[in-house]
Amino acid sequence: MVTDSTADLPGDWRERYDIEVVPLKVIFGEETFRDGVDMNNQEFFARLATSTKLPTTSAPSPGEFAEVYERLAKDHDGCISIHIGAQLSATAESARVGAQSVEGFRVEVIDSETVTMPMAFLCKVAAESTHLDAAAAAVKQRIPGCRVLALLDTLRYIEMGGRVSRAQAMIGTMLDLKPLLLVKDREIKPVDRVRTRSRAIPRMIEFFESDMPVEYVGVMHAQAPEDANRVATGLRERHPDLEIPIGQIGCVLGTHTGPQALGLVYIKR
Amino acid sequence: MVSERNPGVDGPLFKRALLGSLSWLSANHEEVNRLNVFPVPDGDTGTNMLLTLQSAVEDIKESDAAEVSKIAKLASHGSLMGARGNSGVILSQIFRGFARAVEGKSSLTPAELAGAFEEAANAAYRAVNKPTEGTILTVAREAGRAAAAAAASPGATVPRVIAAAADGARTAVLQTPSQLQILRDAGVVDAGGFGLQVILEGMLKTIEEVEPSNGALIMSKPSAPPASQVAVALPEEGWGYCTEFLIEGSDLDLDVIKNQIEALGNSVLVVGEPELVKVHVHTDDPTRVIALAGRHGKLLRLNVGDMSTQHRRILEDEGQVAKAPRPNGVGLVAVVAGRGLVDIFRGLGVDAIVEGGQTMNPSTQDMLTAIESLTYDEVVLLPNNKNVILAAKQVVGLTKKKVHVLETHSVPQGVAAVVAFRADRPGSENLAAMKAEIDRVHTIEVTHAVRDTRSNGLKVKKGDVIGLINDKLEFAGSDYGEVVNKALGKLGADSFELVTVYRGKDATDDELKKLESDIRSTHPGLEVEVQQGGQQHYPFILSVE
Repeated sequence: MVTDSTADLPGDWRERYDIEVVPLKVIFGEETFRDGVDMNNQEFFARLATSTKLPTTSAPSPGEFAEVYERLAKDHDGCISIHIGAQLSATAESARVGAQSVEGFRVEVIDSETVTMPMAFLCKVAAESTHLDAAAAAVKQRIPGCRVLALLDTLRYIEMGGRVSRAQAMIGTMLDLKPLLLVKDREIKPVDRVRTRSRAIPRMIEFFESDMPVEYVGVMHAQAPEDANRVATGLRERHPDLEIPIGQIGCVLGTHTGPQALGLVYIKR
Repeated sequence: MVSERNPGVDGPLFKRALLGSLSWLSANHEEVNRLNVFPVPDGDTGTNMLLTLQSAVEDIKESDAAEVSKIAKLASHGSLMGARGNSGVILSQIFRGFARAVEGKSSLTPAELAGAFEEAANAAYRAVNKPTEGTILTVAREAGRAAAAAAASPGATVPRVIAAAADGARTAVLQTPSQLQILRDAGVVDAGGFGLQVILEGMLKTIEEVEPSNGALIMSKPSAPPASQVAVALPEEGWGYCTEFLIEGSDLDLDVIKNQIEALGNSVLVVGEPELVKVHVHTDDPTRVIALAGRHGKLLRLNVGDMSTQHRRILEDEGQVAKAPRPNGVGLVAVVAGRGLVDIFRGLGVDAIVEGGQTMNPSTQDMLTAIESLTYDEVVLLPNNKNVILAAKQVVGLTKKKVHVLETHSVPQGVAAVVAFRADRPGSENLAAMKAEIDRVHTIEVTHAVRDTRSNGLKVKKGDVIGLINDKLEFAGSDYGEVVNKALGKLGADSFELVTVYRGKDATDDELKKLESDIRSTHPGLEVEVQQGGQQHYPFILSVE
């Protein structure tokens, strides 16, 4: 099992499911950090707060993937490699190219079309399968159901990163609106725009509940643990059958969401 | 045929050519960045290609291999290890294909060189999952084809083959907008393709200098991107400079700094600790921002950049908003006055603005004209002033279009209503949602009494500061902060979250600053946002929600 650092694997999943995580990179000026290796999310947001230039991000190189696959090839016949959506990053392409240079080792590269914890859920699905073909089929079947519902505290970071423009977020204005965005079917679409955070969070939950039933759900946050806890607790009360892990947004995704972002991420049933 | 007079490409020559590419791309990568709209418009294609190429030549610098195959292999390996971004990955595959094609060769004839260019392009196509035409792939293929044609003509030399490849690339780059819609829309050529053109040109430049030939091959700057890219006027109100710095001090108040900076620009970011604050703002007056910030502490790492590139993007976006018809087929018309407020309403998606307000009530005809000018058959009309509502209602009987007059009494109600409007929701649902927002937001308007009066049990002298809550005169006094705080107190400010201050034409910087700090000190739990409204008669309009 291989994924990349944008999967934001919760807690001990890395060890529990034996997942190799290839880091993307965050670049502050001349300095490059490997997401989650040279820099964790606390360090990242602290640096973000005092850096005069906004950071940029970049995918792992094909060579870096090849190294991981070669290492795995020593005691495995093949692997499944699940990556951030190709509409957002060159990572999956890089993995595919990297895989071509490793002979005699089967790599099933999967473009998850999504980002963050839904990728982790897909890894879990794969880990619970009995062989590579079954894992790939089970993962692919769930990709169309992956959703990331994100409430950003400001549009600024995602706008500067080029992933979403003000117009696409329905915010062509100087007013400080909070965009609620949905990553779905390879697209980032605006769901709503709201003036205050306290009103945005109920909107988010309302949207999620209208999109149920779900197979997996999690809450993500960037430096907003109280809000994340409140959302998760509220959901657990109303839907006691759901297991709802809370995860933290990593450095690479954080570059595009900015601090105080909140996410409800799920896979539809 | 390789001979003394017509030398081939050996290791040292290929090494020089690649180093030439690197320096040429290094000089032009910003140009490549500026073109980047596909697949992810994050403006880093040039940087990614440069970093990939740097990595490709890293090991070559130290190598004195005589064989072209060895240099090509190093380039292939280095670029694979350092590839960044989509274009970088494809570039690494171009090197890989080239290296495979020249395997075992110590020197290349013109024909072999052309063959390697073609094989490089093929390898790139094979590596990509879903090849898209109008990108670096197309440019690589056309460069290869042109090189092959040049190699097949009599008297072919290595410089001529490379010159043909560069020419072929240039021609292909110029055609990319006809192949890829997104490029056409943005009025640009493909960034990655242009990057490859620059790389080939850099190669040619070096080879030319090494072996001056017949002089027919003229090397110039990379062909400039189309004029539409460069000639974009700044918006009237500027925001021309991206200004960033750190303030080092003690007990720095982030909120105070944020609000001061906000009055001078947009996209404001003020973050950090009481000892170190990072400020980012887009402003058309960086000098003023710096002077203001300098009062709080020592400024570090000051960085002022021209924002014309980003402006272009934002302007184009705004154009797209106006062009794309809404799925619900509902148009929006608002009555507003004041430059800042007009911009705010337009930015929120209002299709037509009728200038007017408190003392300049627009006629029914003005509103009718605005409505008829829209392509939509269903229109929501926002009067934004109680004195305009009656005239607005007259419009309904005068047009075949379905007109809904949403009775907004004030600017804050109008803004709240427009924010709630969603293009993907049918008219009736939108109206319900917009109405609910109007009832939720409260308006405080602050102005001066024009004569002595007695109203609502309140004695007011000419010139007094007066405060109206939701159209009703409630407080009078001598000071904006005092009147606003009384009004906030009456509304029960602690049950609200956000106060937006729309600053009028006649309010001074000092008055604004004082009002803000008065609100903050009395109601520390409220978030205060300042917007330049530019309205007449009301120095301040406040939205409370």
